[in-house]
Amino acid sequence: MLETVIQLFPGIGSLFVQDTTIAFARVFLILFGFALAYFGFTRALEPLIMVPMGIGMIAINSGVLFLQAGNIGTIFLDPLVEQPDVLVNIMQVNFLQPIYNFMFSNGLIACLVFFGIGSMSEIGFILARPWSCMTVAIFAEMGTFVTLVIGAKMGLPIGEAAAVATIGGADGPMVLFTSLMLAPKLFVPISIIAYLYLSLTYAGYPYIIRLLVPKKYRAMDVEVEIPQVSKKAKFIFTISICALLCLLLPVAAPLIMSFFLGVAIKEAEINPYQELLENTLLYASTLFLGLLLGTLCEAQTLLNPKVAILLVLGITALAISAVGGLLGGWLVYFVTKNYNPVLGIAGVSCVPTTAKLAQYAVEEENPFAMVLPLAMGANICGVIVSAIATGVFVSTLFIVK
Amino acid sequence: MDVVKYAFFSYGLTAVISLLVMGVIVVISKALGNTEEQKEM
Repeated sequence: MLETVIQLFPGIGSLFVQDTTIAFARVFLILFGFALAYFGFTRALEPLIMVPMGIGMIAINSGVLFLQAGNIGTIFLDPLVEQPDVLVNIMQVNFLQPIYNFMFSNGLIACLVFFGIGSMSEIGFILARPWSCMTVAIFAEMGTFVTLVIGAKMGLPIGEAAAVATIGGADGPMVLFTSLMLAPKLFVPISIIAYLYLSLTYAGYPYIIRLLVPKKYRAMDVEVEIPQVSKKAKFIFTISICALLCLLLPVAAPLIMSFFLGVAIKEAEINPYQELLENTLLYASTLFLGLLLGTLCEAQTLLNPKVAILLVLGITALAISAVGGLLGGWLVYFVTKNYNPVLGIAGVSCVPTTAKLAQYAVEEENPFAMVLPLAMGANICGVIVSAIATGVFVSTLFIVK
Repeated sequence: MDVVKYAFFSYGLTAVISLLVMGVIVVISKALGNTEEQKEM
């Protein structure tokens, strides 16, 4: 009788025949997925990622069935298939397998998201205060390099430590891209942790701002004049930087090209392409990114004992980057006396979240202050510095013993 | 190279490349900006 029920409802029945730890982990992940989707719905977390990710997580841990040869699995996707003939067969069954293999595991989805981010970025904001923007962005990358050392000292192999450290760059596609290259076995938990924490920056960063920047300084308005730069100038320096960075860091060239192609399309005013990137490609990629991250959250994957270390390192990286960015803001303030230290948080390249956070933090104390253009400049510099840091890691990590 | 030295090295290299990129941006924008101003005059 019990066997019939188990066969009839394999999603529930498999809970009773699996290892107890995995069964409990599945139930936990179903509830966790529910929480993520719900908090996405209430906007406490980023809905664009969290709603598909939460639902994917619920479905992959609920929709478990008995496969051939007594195996237990799902018909969503299998990230571990490597043999080409097995892959071709499994693509006929697992409906997300083609998207995983042709878009996700080769980093294409990260590049597509970068196309969209590039097409939405106004590079002219950098020119208002170029050196200040770049200084805070460099400081805001501090979490990446400090976490690399902490991760290595905690016993992670250097590639895995570097992959999780890139969470400090606060750039989801960049973390995905780096972890695929440097830590392919851990890219699922690293990417999930990165996106989860990036959603939480909305909640945590305002406290760090209040802690490190007194009220009097938060209220400061900044005199700024945005220079009028022609579209031609912006287009030429966009493609020049793209060429320079690809020359210097060929391993990060796909991401660099994607970002600057988006910027170039915007500056060249190729409107049909810009609409395609901004309204269609970016949102389609983000939807599948969230869904695939959710469906990769199988209980076995997240029971890896390294996940606890990754959770600690991820939050450490983001916290240190925030502190670093604000220190950079203070440095620029002491040097120029015409800079709000809060703008340092925008150097953490979570576009456009941290720029908006800087504006809200300043607006709370001084409703007439407008720092958003400068914050967006620092934000875009943050993206550039994160791409450079990724390229430096992937190109030079071999020199570490 | 041990990991601490590497962290300093890679952070330094990232900073140098970032500043180089910013230098290129500033130089090009000034050069092209000036050319356009001259044309307007």
